[in-house]
Amino acid sequence: MQTTHMATPVLEVAHLEKVYGALGNVTRALNDVSFTVNRGEFVGIMGASGSGKSTLLNCVSTIDSATSGTIRINGQNVTRMKQAKLSQFRREELGFIFQDSNLLDTLTARENIALPLTIARTNSAEISTRVQDVAARLSISQVLDKYPYQMSGGQQQRVAAARALVTDPTMIMADEPTGALDSKSARLLLESLEALNRRLRATVLMVTHDSFAASYTSRVLFIRDGKIFTELRRGDTDRREFFDRIMEVVAMMGGEGSDAL
Amino acid sequence: MLCKLAWGNVRRAGRDYLVYLLTLTLGVTVFYAFNTISMQVDIAGIDEEGLAQVMGSMLGDLTYFLAGVMAFLMVYANNFIMKRRKKEFGLYQVLGMGRGRVATIMALETVIVSVVAFVAGIVLGMGLSQLMTFFTASLFKTQIANFHFFFSVHAFNLTLACMLVMFVLTLLLNLRAVRRTKLIELMGAERRNESIKTRNPWIAIAIFAVGVVLVGVAYYRLLRDGFPLTATDSKLQEAMNQFGITTAMVTVGTFALFWGLSGMLIKLLQSLRSVYWRGLNMFTVRQLAAKVNTVCFSMGVIAMLLFLAITSVTCGMSIANVMNENLERYNPVDVSQTYVYYTPDTLDYYKEYVNPSEADRMVLADTTVDLYSAWHGKGKSADNNDETGKKVNIADVAGEHVQIDSYLSYPFGGSNPSVSAGEMCKTMGEKLPKALGGSNADTMGLFVTPASQYNKLRQMMGEEPVSIGRDQYLLTCDMGGGLGDLYTKYMAGGHTLTLGGHELKPATDKSDKDTAAIANSAMGSNPGTVVVADELLSQLNLQPYSSSLLVNYKQGMDTTEADESIKYTLLDNLLVDGKEPGSWGIFITRSEMYTQAAQMNGMISYLAIYIGFVLVVACAAILSIQQLSNVADGSRSYRVLAQIGCEDRQIRHSVMAQQAVFFLFPLAVGLAHSFVALKVIIELVSIFGNMSIGGTVGLTCAIFLAAYGGYFLVTYLMSAGMVQAAIATRYSE
Repeated sequence: MQTTHMATPVLEVAHLEKVYGALGNVTRALNDVSFTVNRGEFVGIMGASGSGKSTLLNCVSTIDSATSGTIRINGQNVTRMKQAKLSQFRREELGFIFQDSNLLDTLTARENIALPLTIARTNSAEISTRVQDVAARLSISQVLDKYPYQMSGGQQQRVAAARALVTDPTMIMADEPTGALDSKSARLLLESLEALNRRLRATVLMVTHDSFAASYTSRVLFIRDGKIFTELRRGDTDRREFFDRIMEVVAMMGGEGSDAL
Repeated sequence: MLCKLAWGNVRRAGRDYLVYLLTLTLGVTVFYAFNTISMQVDIAGIDEEGLAQVMGSMLGDLTYFLAGVMAFLMVYANNFIMKRRKKEFGLYQVLGMGRGRVATIMALETVIVSVVAFVAGIVLGMGLSQLMTFFTASLFKTQIANFHFFFSVHAFNLTLACMLVMFVLTLLLNLRAVRRTKLIELMGAERRNESIKTRNPWIAIAIFAVGVVLVGVAYYRLLRDGFPLTATDSKLQEAMNQFGITTAMVTVGTFALFWGLSGMLIKLLQSLRSVYWRGLNMFTVRQLAAKVNTVCFSMGVIAMLLFLAITSVTCGMSIANVMNENLERYNPVDVSQTYVYYTPDTLDYYKEYVNPSEADRMVLADTTVDLYSAWHGKGKSADNNDETGKKVNIADVAGEHVQIDSYLSYPFGGSNPSVSAGEMCKTMGEKLPKALGGSNADTMGLFVTPASQYNKLRQMMGEEPVSIGRDQYLLTCDMGGGLGDLYTKYMAGGHTLTLGGHELKPATDKSDKDTAAIANSAMGSNPGTVVVADELLSQLNLQPYSSSLLVNYKQGMDTTEADESIKYTLLDNLLVDGKEPGSWGIFITRSEMYTQAAQMNGMISYLAIYIGFVLVVACAAILSIQQLSNVADGSRSYRVLAQIGCEDRQIRHSVMAQQAVFFLFPLAVGLAHSFVALKVIIELVSIFGNMSIGGTVGLTCAIFLAAYGGYFLVTYLMSAGMVQAAIATRYSE
């Protein structure tokens, strides 16, 4: 499915560093990380806990700020943005899917999905059609009027995905999206993400420590001790084969004395 | 070990405990200070023995009420803290600590906080009670001669006992909570998706509508019927029952209103699509709805409490004001003594129910008695209660004096008065002032008085006499407000009166209220009198009702001494030809009235302000705790909102909107109730004088609103801080 005409970079990370703590007690969470994600790519980031993968995602998603280095999304340097501008940027360019779905308890699925649109003051007629569309794509139309506590975990996660997608973001950030799901729901969600990526050319950046989840992506970046250890491209191999290759890297990383995955 | 853990917990969870601690401290402070009132009264130099007793007994009842409010507040604050601490107690259990020990830790925490709150509360309460002494003195218009620091053991013990009871109560509640809750729930208290108790919106709307209708009908009934205070015996029970129904309606209606509020709000806003699907409106409304469902009961309680507070303060202080303003008019002379004649009704009553032999001595008076000579040497002195005591002699002190005789306007043998307010209203085609509806004012009729006596009182007061011809009349009334206006209007309209077949025209078009009193009194003595020429009166042959001797002391006489010298406990019966035509009525000195009024005024204001303040602060504190706990519960939601690109400003607006509804809605309902109740009360009080809601009342209400608004502001600022902390991300410099 990969074609060459899509090689426009959506995300460019250059020499990113993130240091926590004060003098004498410094933790270098990210150490000179550089990589590029092109439009329409489905990229996985893998690493053990403490490897820096969540810090990376937080920096890219503008929730956390970097110590040095630059992050460009769609050509805009987000490391230089002010607070108010960041809110707007998050709203317009990014979609988030978290480990626990993070839906608002008091809102129905429909309202949860519509939230990013109402915040952006989209008109109500358009909100309605866009919510219907995205719900249909993720096959959650039948739960639109239910509250989160009335849905299964998988449904909640797909509603969260719909909320991330409804604004047509430049990039979708997923942080361990299958972490809290059973294997069937996890597979359903991953298939939805894969389909979104293939059919609608959505750019997805997914952090995971699960090789199975990673095998749905088109490219996996492995992070260890704050640095990019290696990367793996799927190419034309099928998912099962890609999974085996990922497992090999994981085993190799584990074998060199880092935390088991 | 457990103590250490508990102490550490209290310190660490300081922020959560702060709200609880403050509430508890506030409760203790107010409770202690309130119970020192009798001591303050002592120090403030209010030495009227009766007053201290009256205050004491009133305070006794109010203490229970206050304790109830305090208990409600504390259970509320306690629930707040328990919700916060659930997870930690769960963690201890996971780590293998037995439930008993967890409970012990929790009890110890409660003990620590309670002790701190108690000590702080008592210290603050002691400070407050010293300050309040000055406030008390100024309200009762006395000087503090001998101020000294005081501590009330009585109040201390009462507060301690109350605290202990509440402590045990909260402890039991908490233990039950720990025992009942499953570990999984304790641990996951934050994370789980809260199940939202939704109500069928249509049922909610129906209930809301029922609430509106009930409250509306109750308003209508109250405005139509008024308070049952003026009803006469036969109608009283009925009126009380009706009033009870009205009260029940407004209470049930208020709760229904809040119960259905959330459903109504959602449906209303959802129908406004462009409003609902805009910004955070949808989130705000849903958040409100979810919370309103769980707090509708307490919102109802708060609305009713605010209603009570506003009404009691406004009403109490206004009545006190009216009394004060009209005191001069009500008390035209230094001292007055009334004598009340027997009527056929009293005689019948004695014969039938009391003592037929006693009734034999009693006669119907065919003429009035001369009180001045009758009082001469009749009384037994106050400082000498035995029969041999010295007789008081009015002639020793009396300077100018006048006797005013009031006759009933009944024609002999008739059962209806010739002149009544009701008849006058009919003549003019107007309605009787509302406060008189159902009272006996209509059937009782007006009094009739000879012009010579009325004019003599006017002369005593330095006014020109009014000339009243044989075919003329003048209406007088010292009660002001509605009744006075009615009479003035009647005369100004040139309407005639018929007395014993004589048709009379008004002598002038308005009467002078300031010379209309027929005796000294607290709230007016003359509900309406027809003044007619003496020669006409003697022809009419009316039944005497009462006579009052109005006396000014001799020039240069010391009022206090004169008061003392004629004070008596009992006057000998007045006999005419061995028979008794009536009985001695009320004896009132002007100075006594002034002191009483000042004290009454002080007491009413004091209690009104105090009760009002306690209620308002309690309501605000409950709301504040509710809102802070709501925000704390919702911190995850606020974080999510920030992550999906919602600006901080928008989030703060949403919080502000939510809290404004919680603070303002009960206030609005309470105000609406008060407004209607006050409208009726004002009409009622206006019989005695024009009631004005201004001045001190306005100031007091302003202070209350400032306290309430202050709580709102502080709550919002604290909430905004909590939201900021929840959404703050680690931006390194």
